[in-house]
Amino acid sequence: MPKVLLDNVSKLFLSDSGPLQVLSNVTLPIEEGEFLCVLGASGCGKSTLLNLVAGLEKPDHGRVLVGGKEVSGPGPDRVVMFQEAALFPWLTAVQNVAFGLKMAGVGRRERQERAMELLSLVKLSSFANSWIHELSGGMRQRVALAAALALDPEILLMDEPFAALDAQTRDQLHVEIESIWEQTGKTIIFVTHNVREAVRLGTRVLLMSPRSGGICREYPINLPRHRHLEDVELVKIASVLRDDLRDEMRGSGVADV
Amino acid sequence: MSERSIIQDRERVEALLRKRVRERRSELLRKSGARAAFFVLLILVWQGLAAAGLWSELLFPHPRQVLDSLVVTFGDGSMPLAMLASIRRLAIGYSLSLLIGIPLGLLLGRIKLLDNTLGTMALGLQALPSICWMPLAVLWFGLSEVSMQFVVVMGAVMAIILAVRDGVKNIPRLYIRASRVLGATGWKGYLYVILPASMPALLTGARLGWSFAWRALMAAELIYVGSGLGSTLMMGRELHDMPLVIATMIVIVVIGLLADRLLFGTLEKRLHRRWGVSGG
Repeated sequence: MPKVLLDNVSKLFLSDSGPLQVLSNVTLPIEEGEFLCVLGASGCGKSTLLNLVAGLEKPDHGRVLVGGKEVSGPGPDRVVMFQEAALFPWLTAVQNVAFGLKMAGVGRRERQERAMELLSLVKLSSFANSWIHELSGGMRQRVALAAALALDPEILLMDEPFAALDAQTRDQLHVEIESIWEQTGKTIIFVTHNVREAVRLGTRVLLMSPRSGGICREYPINLPRHRHLEDVELVKIASVLRDDLRDEMRGSGVADV
Repeated sequence: MSERSIIQDRERVEALLRKRVRERRSELLRKSGARAAFFVLLILVWQGLAAAGLWSELLFPHPRQVLDSLVVTFGDGSMPLAMLASIRRLAIGYSLSLLIGIPLGLLLGRIKLLDNTLGTMALGLQALPSICWMPLAVLWFGLSEVSMQFVVVMGAVMAIILAVRDGVKNIPRLYIRASRVLGATGWKGYLYVILPASMPALLTGARLGWSFAWRALMAAELIYVGSGLGSTLMMGRELHDMPLVIATMIVIVVIGLLADRLLFGTLEKRLHRRWGVSGG
């Protein structure tokens, strides 16, 4: 049984210019321990897919199953990491990491310990008591990652988490998220519009397009791990994906990838 | 970078910091200097006009007379007593407004139905100057403390409700989504996310409510002659004691300013420091 199953899911949005079918009859199984990258231009429904699994949105038709059970709302087994670090400015870094544990009713000492562990995992121990506005963009995403891991979710949902970071910071975070995935075996769904990032991280890459109302192509990535963005093989695969993505865009009338 | 250059760098940074502090201090000095000079000038002009004798001393007293009036009324305890009476009323009425206004504002910001009904009413009543509640209050509660506090509450509570509601409505959607993902739902969401996230709005509401409450109370005290700064003001008019009128006005301004600057100014500064510039 797949860890996550989108079963014939449709989702419609009402915009000013009329109804917009972002997902139409999408069926997608995701296996446990998979690192699934979802690729597409903005407006193709990739964030919607993520929000459906997170339980932040409900499908208009079809079902979303996680571990065989239908999703009815957000849960601690599925934590989302947003593009813009979703950290609370009234809490320090360590308090932000511990927030989910506090909500789950974990005792003060235990959650403090756990939060400090996670902060050291993302190499931010010395910033535990900093306010959020004192941290750089990359540091904020690290704190957000630690906060997401605090609840020890089985599924990590990442919505373009590194899109706003500079290349170097992104490289570092790729290494970190990859090693966390290898060590914990979590199922990760990672949404991005960066083709090479998708190939760099994913065990499988999905291409989404608004024209087809969802997933149009799928690529298993069998490159050995600890890949680099500059690897020749990686770049080759990425260029194939990019061409396919362009074709899809052209077909849908959406220019510019 | 070699160790030596790091040390040099640190020295340079420290020198720069010292320079900044010096600059800021001198700027502050210049600002407060200009302010002091302005007020001295104002008093001199006042003194000059009074000395020129253009108007009767009964209508346009010397600064000296006002100062004397302040000294006398503080000396015989009548001014502190009036201040105490007003501040006590304000404390009760204002606390009540906060106790009613903040929870209501928090609810209105989240519950559409409540906003469409109660929110619309609050908006409408906000248009009513608070002193217009006085006749109704007198008929209901008589010429009593309760009437005054009623007027204060009615003057302040609408502004507080509306400011808090707007703050809650403007909480970034990201916080709400994140809180749902992390399990902060129901009362936990209110206590740990909505309440702290609307802190800046709460403070704005409290500050606004304070100034409305202060104005409402003074108006009410002018009508209801009993005790308090407003009635001292009225007494000054009836006794044709212009220095007392101006002295009381000065006291009213100073109390309002002190609360605004010291209390709310400090709280706001602290909040801004915590949240960074963007959050405040």
